[in-house]
Amino acid sequence: MITFDKVTKKFPLGNTALSDVSFEIDDNQFVFLVGQSGAGKTSILKMITQEIVPTSGSIIVDDFDVTDKNFSQKIELRRKIGIIFQDFKVLIDKNVFENVAVSLKVIGADSSEIKNKVKKALELVGLSKKEMVFPVQLSAGELQRVAIARAVVGDRDIIIADEPTGNLDPKTSWDIMKIFKKLEGKRTIIIATHNTDIVNSFQKRVLVLKEGKIVKDQRKGGYEL
Amino acid sequence: MKEIWTSIRRTPYQSFSAFLILFFTLFLTLILFVSLTFLYGTLNYLETKPQVTVYFQNKTPENNIFKVRDELMSSGKVLNIKYISKNDAFNIYKQLNKDNPLLLEMVSADILPPSLEIYAKKPIYLPEIAEYLKKQGDIDEVQYEKDIIDKLLVLTNAIRMSALIFFSYLILMSIVVLTTMILFKIALKESEIILLKLIGATNSYIRKPYVLESLFLGMAASTLSFAIFSLIVLYFSPFLQSYFKGITTLSVEVFNFKLIIWPLNYIFFAIVFVTISFFGAVISSVSSYIATNKYLKV
Repeated sequence: MITFDKVTKKFPLGNTALSDVSFEIDDNQFVFLVGQSGAGKTSILKMITQEIVPTSGSIIVDDFDVTDKNFSQKIELRRKIGIIFQDFKVLIDKNVFENVAVSLKVIGADSSEIKNKVKKALELVGLSKKEMVFPVQLSAGELQRVAIARAVVGDRDIIIADEPTGNLDPKTSWDIMKIFKKLEGKRTIIIATHNTDIVNSFQKRVLVLKEGKIVKDQRKGGYEL
Repeated sequence: MKEIWTSIRRTPYQSFSAFLILFFTLFLTLILFVSLTFLYGTLNYLETKPQVTVYFQNKTPENNIFKVRDELMSSGKVLNIKYISKNDAFNIYKQLNKDNPLLLEMVSADILPPSLEIYAKKPIYLPEIAEYLKKQGDIDEVQYEKDIIDKLLVLTNAIRMSALIFFSYLILMSIVVLTTMILFKIALKESEIILLKLIGATNSYIRKPYVLESLFLGMAASTLSFAIFSLIVLYFSPFLQSYFKGITTLSVEVFNFKLIIWPLNYIFFAIVFVTISFFGAVISSVSSYIATNKYLKV
C-alpha cells in the first residue's frame, strides 16, 4: 500500500510542486496519475522512489516510512519498485538480455535465476527473439518494451511509469498499454500520462492533479483535458 | 576481467589517457623513490663516518680508559669505539713518517697519548658524547668536526622535508588529474549510474567496475614503469658500479628492517615493485572512488 498524507513539496526557489496532497493506493491497484505538465505527477513518482523528499507530510510505501528523517532503507525500497521512463533509459552498450538482467544483477540474483526470469519477462513483452539485439537496432516501441521487461523482471511489487507512451505513436502506445493490462491485478501499477484516450478506455482509478493539488479521485474514471 | 576489458574497448581514448597519466606519475614516482632511497642510504653511510676522538692524559691507566669506553658503549648511542694505545699510536706515527727518519728519532711511544676513536650511531649524538667526555677526568683533548656534523644534519633534514613535500604534491596532483580523467569517462555513463541507483543498486555495486578498471590500469602502469626502470638501471649498471666504488654496502632502515640497497639485489627490486604497485593501486582506486561519488547522490 502507498499512502500520501498531507504531502507538500516546495523547491528552494519557491515554486510549489505539491500542496497538501493525500491519497492511498491499495496493493495491486491500477492507477492513472493525470494532469497537465507541471501539475505534480512526476513529483509524486519521484517521492515514491525517494528521489526527492517532501517538505512536509508523510509517505508510506509498503511499510517503509520514506519521510522518516532516519530512513536508511532506500535500497530495499527501490528494489520493490520497477520504473519505466518516457525516454526508456535503456543502456546502449548492453543488449536486450543484459538490459533486462541488470534489474536482477543489482539484487545479487544468480545466473540461472537471471536466465529464467529474463526469458519470462521478454516473453511477456514480446521480445523473446531479440534478446541478443542492441538498442540501436530497436524501434521506440521495442525500447519501451525492454524498459517494461526490466521493470517487471525482479517480481517488483510496484511498477511506476512516467509518460510511458509519451514518445510513441498511437498504435505503439496501445501495444505498450496492452502489456500493462497483462500485469493488472498482479502488482501495484501507477502510470503518469497525458493520454486521455488510454485513460478513458482503461476505466481504472484516476487521480487528477492540477497545480500541485488532487482535484479529482475517481475509482473508475475517465479524464478530460 | 572480461568486463574490465570490454569497458576499456568501449572507451579506448579515455582509458588510454588514464593509463598514460598513471604511467607518467608512477614512473616519476619510481625514479624519485629509488633516488631518494639511494640518497638516504648514502646519508646513512656518511652519518656513520664522523667520529669523536678523545685523547687521554699521558699517564692515564688503561683501566680508566676502558671504563670510559664501556660506559659509552652501554649508552646505546655509540656504534663502535676503537682504542688506540700509546704503542698503536706510535706504530701509526711510524707508518705515516716512514720516509722521514729524523722525525722518527725524535718521537717515542711514551710521549704519544692514548686515545679512543668513537663512531656514533647518528651524528646528532656526537655533541652529547663530546660533552660527556669533557666532564671525565684524565682527558687531555676532545676533537670532533662540529661544522661538518651540523651541515650534514641540516642537509639530512632538508632532504627529508623536501621529499615529504614533493611526494605529497605528487600524490595530490596525480589523484586530481586522474579523478578528472575518470570523471570524463564516467560522465558518459551518468544515465546508467542514475538508472542503477533507481532500481536499487548499492553504491559499491555501481563503483565496482570503475574501481576495478582503475586498479587494472594502475597495476598495468606500475608494471610497465617498473619494467622500463629496470632496463634503465641495467643499462647504467657499469656507471653505478664505478660511482659507488669503495662503498661496500648501502642500506636504509625500514620498520627496524635493514634493507640493503647497494649492491643492487632482488629483495630491493621486489620491494620497489611492491611499493610502486601499491602506490599505483591506491591512487587509481582513490581517484575512481572520488569520481564515482559525484554521481551516487541520486
